[in-house]
Amino acid sequence: MPPLLQLDEVDVFHGDLQAVFGVSLRVEAGEALALIGANGAGKSTLLRAITGLTPARRGTLCVDGQMLGGLSAERIAALGIALVPEGRQLFPSLSVEENLLMGTLARRPGRWTLATVYALFPVLREFRQRPATLLSGGQQQMVAIGRALMANPKLLLCDELSLGLAPLVVEEIYRAFSRIREDGLAIVLVEQDVARACAVSDRLVCLLKGRVTMSGPSQGQPRERIAAAYFGE
Amino acid sequence: MDWLATVVNGALLGGLYGLFGLGLALVFGVMRVVNLAHGEFIVLGAFLGVFLVGLLPQLPPWVLVLPVALAGYALGWGLQAGVVNRAVRSGNPLTPLMLTFGLSVMLRNAMVQFFGADSRAIDGGVLTTAGIDLLGLRIGLYPLLVLALAALLFGALHWLLRHSEFGRVVRAVADAPEMARLMGVTPARVFNRVMGLAIAFAMLAGFLLAQRTLFTPFSGVERMLIAFEVVIIGGLGSFWGALAGGMVLGIAQLVGQKLDSNAGPLYAHLVFVLVLLFMPKGLAGERR
Repeated sequence: MPPLLQLDEVDVFHGDLQAVFGVSLRVEAGEALALIGANGAGKSTLLRAITGLTPARRGTLCVDGQMLGGLSAERIAALGIALVPEGRQLFPSLSVEENLLMGTLARRPGRWTLATVYALFPVLREFRQRPATLLSGGQQQMVAIGRALMANPKLLLCDELSLGLAPLVVEEIYRAFSRIREDGLAIVLVEQDVARACAVSDRLVCLLKGRVTMSGPSQGQPRERIAAAYFGE
Repeated sequence: MDWLATVVNGALLGGLYGLFGLGLALVFGVMRVVNLAHGEFIVLGAFLGVFLVGLLPQLPPWVLVLPVALAGYALGWGLQAGVVNRAVRSGNPLTPLMLTFGLSVMLRNAMVQFFGADSRAIDGGVLTTAGIDLLGLRIGLYPLLVLALAALLFGALHWLLRHSEFGRVVRAVADAPEMARLMGVTPARVFNRVMGLAIAFAMLAGFLLAQRTLFTPFSGVERMLIAFEVVIIGGLGSFWGALAGGMVLGIAQLVGQKLDSNAGPLYAHLVFVLVLLFMPKGLAGERR
């Protein structure tokens, strides 16, 4: 059985500037992979390449054995890859509920519906008619997660879930995280907080200046090894 | 009493002007494209009406509203899918502007070529001359029906954008096209339909206006000026503001015409300047 997501020697460019150099990685079904690395290490760019928004210029990307090369972002979304983007990027003209319903356009019915998302984040049901961007940062992050879940993805990409949120709110978000993983949803998680990333993931991949400097199980990694991969030597 | 009738008739004319602005505002609001050929499509709607009335003289002209609007949708869809999407993809806002400007010149000259440069009007039959007496006011039946139709179309579009899945997608694409793609939406396809709706409104309104005003292939510029003024008076991005803006212009034009029979449109433009000076955000612009 092919892995859920497999990247081989992937190069990604921002215009003329190369941001990701020959990255290879794989995510098995049901696995949570944490992508760590300093600012500008290419983590978000790599996620954009997987979604097809910034297609990789070289290398291959496969989902369930199907090559993503040449597929548009909207086709890749329909294959079951959903992104919770950095900065949440909700649709300001849409209410909370309308934002969530945008997830249904990928036409992938499944476990996640309005009812199950509201059960996961009860506060959203209360504010369902409000414009999404009038909510607090943490609530907006819940909308962004709910919107991605509504597509019932096979693979959920999460970019900096904790960015700009109060510690208590981050706790709440990550508590929901474990419930999201219950039915074996695979996750690629970009996270600045390395301790947090290790705690919630199965495997760790560290990027430095667009290259993989370390990969292995999240538990039991010596601090020094992670620090060396994170900062370079 | 006479003045009151003029104001009422102006408001009724405003329904049409509101429709002119509606398409322009919709296209700008969703894809940030200013369609400089909007006026030419309004006139094209009138010429298509002339052609259809000649082809089907046994039908009452108002029936032809439907084929004109459908043709407008098809033309708008094709225009967007064929060329405007490419221009939008270039990422440079000047590209679609130049494209639609060039298109307006081509359309204008093509209409002169095919239909000649003479002034024309569409004979709307008995409907355009009939009137009703309301509380001592003499009100034309035709403008009343046009206003009702305009209000109906505004209402329908409002419902479509607020409460349907299509409307949700349109608003999401206008907000953040890249995020919409991650939801499985192809913005270019949404744009096709939006341009289809906009040109359908424009050609429909052009057809209806041609039953009360003369037009030539060169009338597009004036019509587009009105459409721009409607959008600005109403407040950018506000649909109901566009209807109100159309009414303000229609009233100003007819009252002006009564004061000075040669220069009705001048007064409409003066009102526009006043709005720009004192309410630069437009009637509905305060909320934003």
